Amino acid sequence: MAAKPSLKNKGRGKGPKGSSSSTSSSSSSKYELVKEWTNWSLKKAKVATQYGFIPLIIIIGMKSDPKPHLFQLLSPV
Amino acid sequence: MADLFPPLVTAQIDDKPKVDEKVDYSNLPCPVPYEELHREAYMSLKPDTFEGLRFDFTKGLNQKFGLCHSVMMGPTEVPSQSPDTVIKIPTAHYEFGANYIDPKLMLVGRVMTDGRQSARVRADLTDKLMVKANAQLANEPHMSQAMFNFDYMGSDYRAQLQFGNNALVGANYIQSVTPRLSLGGEVFWVGVPRKSGIGYAARYETDKMVASGQVASTGLMAMNYVQKVSDKVSLATDFMYNYFSREAVASVGYDYMLRQSRVRGKIDSNGVASALLEERLSMGLNFLMSAELDHKKKDYKFGFGLTVG
Repeated sequence: MAAKPSLKNKGRGKGPKGSSSSTSSSSSSKYELVKEWTNWSLKKAKVATQYGFIPLIIIIGMKSDPKPHLFQLLSPV
Repeated sequence: MADLFPPLVTAQIDDKPKVDEKVDYSNLPCPVPYEELHREAYMSLKPDTFEGLRFDFTKGLNQKFGLCHSVMMGPTEVPSQSPDTVIKIPTAHYEFGANYIDPKLMLVGRVMTDGRQSARVRADLTDKLMVKANAQLANEPHMSQAMFNFDYMGSDYRAQLQFGNNALVGANYIQSVTPRLSLGGEVFWVGVPRKSGIGYAARYETDKMVASGQVASTGLMAMNYVQKVSDKVSLATDFMYNYFSREAVASVGYDYMLRQSRVRGKIDSNGVASALLEERLSMGLNFLMSAELDHKKKDYKFGFGLTVG
């Protein structure tokens, strides 16, 4: 479960590249924060795409002209 | 109007004072996109061969929207430790897909029974700017891939910026230098094994032939040549060389586009001969047969299929 990145993890090099941030300089902690936020948003985007992309195509398709019927969507002919 | 302009310096200025009677440098055609540089060669030389049964059913609900169902049964190759042995596992899966194809927006999505999904989006933001996205998603962590491209099409050039996962950033540019010759280059930077690369490409085409070449700092050098012998027949040949690992592969292939069928075949210097036949049985019904014989690894793959719609 991707928890929201918290400020407590600022000092530890937690990302995949694990930068050696032994000094707590603000630039490296901002970089860590940015990396954690982008990782979190990418994970959410991946889940959204997995569940939502094909329904999105179907919704856009059913609204296009000429509108097909729901029966045509489900029938195998 | 032509007398007022100073002599030109590069070929990119819009108004050239001296218009060549043969070549009009101010009016060059737009080149093919960088990734389609080898398009004609790969149509003949890399036919989509498969193993086992394949059945595709595409149902169009209206002009733009369609659903497709596809069943594939057959052995699937699993990567093995030694390059000589081939391990295959029989699998069967069903794939459901939805396509929405509009001149300005194209959305293609596919989902398989084993949880893998693929999604492709292509949107024309303006006349000249296009966004493309391509993603292959899997349920296992770290097995998904995605790539975003931003393409800009100028009057006689194209530029593209790419972003991918694993922190991949790339850019490429291709320019028409004469009506037949286009030259291009690309740079990319990968984050995970920190590597960067640069490559150059050239493409020369006439009505009857297309020749293209590509060199990259990853060690790849590829050249190919396609000759359109007649309306129905085209022949292609390809040479690929890796100058770090000193491996070279050459292949020769053909593409016969007949009225009711299309046959494509190729033979390789690795001892691989492959062919693909697509026969149109009637309107909307296509029968496919594919064969790939790898004599070096002793791996023979045969497939057949039917495509409806």
